[in-house]
Amino acid sequence: MKITKPLTSIALLALLGASFSASAYDADWKRGRIYYRSVCTSCHVALPVGSINPSAKTMAEWSGYMQADKHAKGKDTVKQYVSKEYRASIKSANKAAEKFADVPDQELLDDIKAFVTKGAKDGEAPASCS
Amino acid sequence: MGLNSLRQAAGLCLAGLLCLFSANTVAADAPRPLKLTTTADHSKFKELQREFQSGPDVTKACLSCHTEAAGQIHRTKHWKWEFLNPVSGQTLGKKSVLNNFCISVASNYSACTSCHVGYGWKDASFDFSVEENVDCLVCHDTTGIYKKPPGLAGNPVVKDTELPPGSGKIVKGIDITKVAQKVGKSSRDTCGSCHFFGGGGDGVKHGDLDSSMAAPDKELDVHMDATGLDFTCATCHKTSSHDVAGSRYTPTAMDKEGAHVRGKEDKSNPATCVSCHDNTPHKKDERLNQHATKLACQTCHIPEFARGGVATKMSWDWSKAGERDAEGKQITRKDAKGRIIYESRKGAFELGENVRPEYFWFNGDVNYTLVTDKIDKPDGVTRINWLGGSPTDGKSMIWPVKVFRGSQPYDPENKTLVKPHTAGNDDTGYWKNLVWDKAIETGMKDAGLPFSGKVDFVKTEMFWPITHMVAPKEKALACSECHSKNGRLAGIQGVYIPGRDANPLVDRLGWGIALLSLIGSLGHGLMRFAARRKH
Repeated sequence: MKITKPLTSIALLALLGASFSASAYDADWKRGRIYYRSVCTSCHVALPVGSINPSAKTMAEWSGYMQADKHAKGKDTVKQYVSKEYRASIKSANKAAEKFADVPDQELLDDIKAFVTKGAKDGEAPASCS
Repeated sequence: MGLNSLRQAAGLCLAGLLCLFSANTVAADAPRPLKLTTTADHSKFKELQREFQSGPDVTKACLSCHTEAAGQIHRTKHWKWEFLNPVSGQTLGKKSVLNNFCISVASNYSACTSCHVGYGWKDASFDFSVEENVDCLVCHDTTGIYKKPPGLAGNPVVKDTELPPGSGKIVKGIDITKVAQKVGKSSRDTCGSCHFFGGGGDGVKHGDLDSSMAAPDKELDVHMDATGLDFTCATCHKTSSHDVAGSRYTPTAMDKEGAHVRGKEDKSNPATCVSCHDNTPHKKDERLNQHATKLACQTCHIPEFARGGVATKMSWDWSKAGERDAEGKQITRKDAKGRIIYESRKGAFELGENVRPEYFWFNGDVNYTLVTDKIDKPDGVTRINWLGGSPTDGKSMIWPVKVFRGSQPYDPENKTLVKPHTAGNDDTGYWKNLVWDKAIETGMKDAGLPFSGKVDFVKTEMFWPITHMVAPKEKALACSECHSKNGRLAGIQGVYIPGRDANPLVDRLGWGIALLSLIGSLGHGLMRFAARRKH
């Protein structure tokens, strides 16, 4: 019984290590800022849901939100709005989507995570939408 | 149950190790993640792989490789805050001049030098020769977390600190080691950390520089458009040996040098429109190129400033400062949009967004009323700086300008402007005590200048040429904005502007020709008609 916990921990660490070594991407918060403001915010304002400042949530809240991947209270996903397919669908009318059309989905998602984490209420530099 | 758990854990462990093995195999085959925006990943340098305790601590590490960098910085305005104007002979620079915003650096060093590219300038004894006092991070930070709060003489907060002391407010310490390991090129964010906040707040001073320019869209600035051309400040303000081109003290009002070309030695200012667009930028309409001989590009292409949603201060009345509430506490008033328009410690403000500039002939000469100059007309308006220029000197163009108006303290006996001690948690700091004579006495003593002990207020103006926030060409000024009575250039003398100006003789001549043409056409038509009937 006692041996199971360390073994499980080793297994999870191995999995984490595997994923880390496979994708040592240094997220670009500035690219995340542009996408967040030009795509997320512009759509939120147009709908109109209203803009959501990164500083409206704490780092933990943003982390939970991104991990849950539930957009519009679970009607769809966050990843969907960062995907290449979505960017392709709006790029004729959205310059940020056009500029970042070929950026891998996970990289762009990491960029956005880096921006909202840095700009969170308790982040290193709380940020607004504009 | 126990056996099952053991089996599950062992299975997970095996799966994890397999994943690790396979991932490493893939990683070995795939190209490693590569940064394409720099040739060096500073986190890999041994010199930076340790915990740093202070700014100078980081600079020492930087200088161990970049041996000439501090010496280069020491030669610049960004370091000296001093500039000898070769035209006027005036000694300028932040260290010497005063303004009608927060007024002066003297005796307020610890607050003002949060925007100095150095560490530790807390009083007039600062040693400008010490290399490790150069702040590399303020220009080369890429994390966006590096900050230098006012009151710390240009030092960042590296441990959680109560600021101001005794306030109960804790400023979180930044991870300076992380900042040091992620240095890179300067950016709109790094330059903007000071230049967006000149005058004591976001957008206060310039009007065409505020935090909205950190990641602007095309509507706000066609060059810096974050989803388009994405210029940094250094794209235009080309920097050589850490010396940044472009100056508020000696701007280029008329650039006759044309576009800069690779391989050709260009000694002219690289931060002008002409240095890229040449002197005849309009390819489809020669008339517009003719306009460009008298009008600065900015005049038509920056129709308004403060367009990014951040208000700029348009006036500052220090004479209204000093009010307290019933309990004797300092007060703050806000407008309907929640923007501060009054503070006990600073006085009353007027704010503006989407502001139409004022227009002046400008030849590049900027003169200052210094603290040592006598004010001749204290009942009128004292121009703290003013722009040289005329329609006939051959080197002036019509420029858009933010005129900042205010009222500030002066010495009515010595007839000079004064440098008050404003910032500071001490007995004479005006922002704490709201007592002018004590504050001015301290400030003038620090500056080595006389003060009579009497205080009055004088109206002042400052002139700030507008050059950022260039709108898309579709949003440039329409002809009728100037070619009309009471148009934008209504106050500009020395140039004939059709639609605005009228010469009675020319008007009569024109109307006469038009009338004669009409009579001739009608007469000709009438004769043709009559002749047709005869046949």
